[in-house]
Amino acid sequence: MFCYNCGRALSEHDFCTACGADVRLYKKIIHVSNMYYNEGLEKASVRDLTGAAESLRQSLKFNKSNIEARNLLGLVYFEVGDAMAALSQWVLSKNMQPEKNIADDYINKLQSNVGRLATINQSIKKYNQALVYCHQDSKDLAVIQLKKVLSLNPRFVRAHQLLALLYIDGEDWEHAERELRRCMNIDRNNAQTLRYLKVVEDMLTPDETVKQPAKRKKDESVRYRSENEIIIQPLNVKEPKRSGVATLLNMGIGIIIGLAVCYFLLVPAAQQAVRAEDQERITAISNESDAKTVRIQELEGQISGFDERILELQQQMRALEEDEGPLPYYDRLLLAATSYMESEDVHVVGAELEAITQEVPLDEMSEGFRKLYEQLVASVGSTLAAEYYNQGYSSYQAGRYDEAIPLLEKVVFYDAEHVRALYTLGRAYEESGDRENAISYFDQVIEQFPNTEYAGYAQPRRNSLAAGN
Amino acid sequence: MINFEEELKKFFPSLEVENAEEAIYNQDLTDMADMLIKTLMNSQEKSEEVQ
Repeated sequence: MFCYNCGRALSEHDFCTACGADVRLYKKIIHVSNMYYNEGLEKASVRDLTGAAESLRQSLKFNKSNIEARNLLGLVYFEVGDAMAALSQWVLSKNMQPEKNIADDYINKLQSNVGRLATINQSIKKYNQALVYCHQDSKDLAVIQLKKVLSLNPRFVRAHQLLALLYIDGEDWEHAERELRRCMNIDRNNAQTLRYLKVVEDMLTPDETVKQPAKRKKDESVRYRSENEIIIQPLNVKEPKRSGVATLLNMGIGIIIGLAVCYFLLVPAAQQAVRAEDQERITAISNESDAKTVRIQELEGQISGFDERILELQQQMRALEEDEGPLPYYDRLLLAATSYMESEDVHVVGAELEAITQEVPLDEMSEGFRKLYEQLVASVGSTLAAEYYNQGYSSYQAGRYDEAIPLLEKVVFYDAEHVRALYTLGRAYEESGDRENAISYFDQVIEQFPNTEYAGYAQPRRNSLAAGN
Repeated sequence: MINFEEELKKFFPSLEVENAEEAIYNQDLTDMADMLIKTLMNSQEKSEEVQ
């Protein structure tokens, strides 16, 4: 507690030890404020929220700076659904004590949840609208509006009370009692709630003051409450005796009613179940049919794709046939190989191989083609090379160089290491005046067979030709 | 028995967010302590004037 005059802390004396101001009455006021705060706290702890709010308001009337009282009053307002009143108290509290104030947390919690704040404000607006409807005598609209309010803000005590009042006005006692019980769960000692509840309970409980008929004793019935209903169970009541015919008649009626129930309730239910089962089966078959239709469409799409592909390939084949391509060369090589295997006539095979060599780009052919070709050349090469060499050498010796040169070139084609043929070919070119080819063949002899006698013959001739002699 | 019209007069519109600021500013915050201090100040001033 601080001095109102100088702001220093007060001691147990009735005057301020710093400035000397008389603080006796001031201290009493602060004590009364604290007393009301304690009372409010006690009431709030037993859920007497109306009493607590009243005590806390009294506390603040004595000392507006009682921060605890103001914060608790805000909490009480918030608990009864009056969020804006609560927020007002917390804002004031925060202004009075900006530091170390729990009101700061309350404000932050409320403001940080924007959705919650909007819902609260919406519920308040709807409550105010419901109040307007009440004043306009539009009670049905007011009830609807208040139900919406309570769905948004179920702790809004005043909305519960107004709804209960509307139910009371409409003599809907059970609903009114339910709303008032909800009020009681939130605020146990609200005078308005208690007054309404008393009226509702009076209306729900039969009048005990009405005299019972003289024949009946007071304890002829047992009364007890089950939730909102009052059950009155009569005692010592004997069933009147009935005759046997009446019993049989009743049994017959009971059986007829039972059969009727079976016919009107059980049979339609069974029919419905069968229909539902059939419907499910139809749905399953329909789904299966749809799936198959989709599959058929897919397959038809694939077939049309294959047809297009077949047409494309046929076009390609036609184009290849028109262009001839490499297929004829394969045929020719295969025919040559077949004829060699059948007759072993090296000349026929040799002629075909020489023709293929001139016409076919061997590098572009397949590996199989090249292997077969090389195999055939190797098979017939030695025989043909010897034969062509003899013929070529004879022509060379006879001075017919034009005949000798192609024959000797065939020898070199079949046997690239035939050094005599290479040398003789160089000589034939030399004698025929073709220096360039002569030097080329002499170079091959010198480079490929350096330590042979033909290299020794070729070297001076090559030098002589290169020198231009 | 409850009179609806009379009871309805006891219900007042609730404070909305839009009006909260105005309500806070307009709140009368004068308390007993303020009144006491004011009274003491006045009496002190009067005694000074008499002297």
